Amino acid sequence: MNIGAAIKDVIDYQIKVLGGRTVGDVIFFFVILFVAVIIAKIVRINIRRTLKEKVPKTTLNAVEKIFYYGIITVGFLAALPYIGVEPTGLMVAGGIAGIVIGFASQTVVSNLISGIFLLIEKPIKIGDGVSLGDVSGVVKDIRILSTTIRTWDGIYVRIPNEKVFTSNIQNFVAHAARRFEYKIGIAYKDDADKAIEIIKNLLEEHPLILKEPAPQIFVEELGESSVNLAIRIWAPSSHWFSVKTEMLWKIKVSLEKEGIEIPFPQRVIWMADKKKG
Amino acid sequence: MFGKYDLNVELKEEGIEISITGKGKKKSYYRKAGEEEVEKIIYAEEGNVVICPVEPVNLPNEGTSQHLLIELEKPIIIEPRIEDVFYVKFPVEVGVFLIDKKDVERIDIFTITKPKYILYGPPESGIICKWWGSDAFSEAPEVKRLYEGVMKVEAKNNYSEWVEIRKMVFRALDMKLFYNEHAFMHSYLEILKKTMGETSFNERKPKNMKRAIDIYLAKGIKRLEKKFVMEWGFK
Repeated sequence: MNIGAAIKDVIDYQIKVLGGRTVGDVIFFFVILFVAVIIAKIVRINIRRTLKEKVPKTTLNAVEKIFYYGIITVGFLAALPYIGVEPTGLMVAGGIAGIVIGFASQTVVSNLISGIFLLIEKPIKIGDGVSLGDVSGVVKDIRILSTTIRTWDGIYVRIPNEKVFTSNIQNFVAHAARRFEYKIGIAYKDDADKAIEIIKNLLEEHPLILKEPAPQIFVEELGESSVNLAIRIWAPSSHWFSVKTEMLWKIKVSLEKEGIEIPFPQRVIWMADKKKG
Repeated sequence: MFGKYDLNVELKEEGIEISITGKGKKKSYYRKAGEEEVEKIIYAEEGNVVICPVEPVNLPNEGTSQHLLIELEKPIIIEPRIEDVFYVKFPVEVGVFLIDKKDVERIDIFTITKPKYILYGPPESGIICKWWGSDAFSEAPEVKRLYEGVMKVEAKNNYSEWVEIRKMVFRALDMKLFYNEHAFMHSYLEILKKTMGETSFNERKPKNMKRAIDIYLAKGIKRLEKKFVMEWGFK
């Protein structure tokens, strides 16, 4: 027997467990799978090269994965008849399995869909300072199933995308500028106009306190122990917190330097016998 | 003060001191502007130092803004289909660069101006700009050269109505700075609608002037659009 005939015998050998499919069919099945994987890899590399500079990393990862696994799945389905499995039969089985898996993976799918919507709607971006429900911090990554946050005190928090999508999202830096407010009480004996002028001059000196919208300083309330001034300041969203922490003390120091008192809560008590006297 | 110098230099002007001193490879960089002092160590054998004006949006916080808003103290009202040239002043930021045949490295940026920011447009979609107030002059004004530069503005009203200009916004990425005794830019303002216009810059080097080092080009940042659209008006 020559070698060619021996190889042909092996290739034509029928495998009973595969419903009489030959070894050649099985080899062809793996060849189709192999080709599908190669094509998927080529497509993935090309997608990465084309879109790398144009779309965010998270979107790129999602697109890459959809194409990669999509091509492999198509290849797998195309190769199945060679091992005696008809895709139509598989679809019935897959339908039943799909229902079972669907129930089991409801949360995963929900997170996946939410992740896709987050990537499309973009209420938050990597690097944004945000508050998601009861978690506040900087967005470090937005993945297809979850979003990771570094809280202000440096803790890693992973939030499933479904929760991100359905929670109230506060993005602290989505707008170019934001406003913050102080309330400062001055003594009744002091001149509120003078205090307003002092504060106005101080705010004018600070580069990060926006010229427009201009700061607002006004008497908001005649309180029990003090005349209460409201100070509303606009600053770039990227720097508002540093400005807020810096200015309150400076305002206090400036007012006191000009002889304007910031009083403690106080109550005037008239003694009954003293009044008679 | 603007110019190209060897790596051993001592300069003093308008209250600003810059010096690079030391023998051999190790040199000391010292700069004083107002009350701010900066000291750095430089290791270099060859190369030069260039001191020139840079896009005036870097200080006090680099990255906060990439736009300069010039507010005219007296607004200009321009007739339809009219072109006019006027001059404004802009704040000067001075850059100190080390250069050799292959590379440009920024070592310092400073200013003696008092910076201030402003929001152009609404808070939800506007942009943070560096603010500067200036009169509009019919001829190039005299300036304290380390404090202010001169910007020539060629304004053209392409709209069918009179338009009042109080604010002009320029994108730092588009700016082309030149210098001799003082810093200079040549800009264009094209009015498209009552509340919309475009600003851009002339890239051609004027006679007797030197081209300043472009920070954005040095960083490898390319410009796609060479015009900035002022979509929130001129007031």
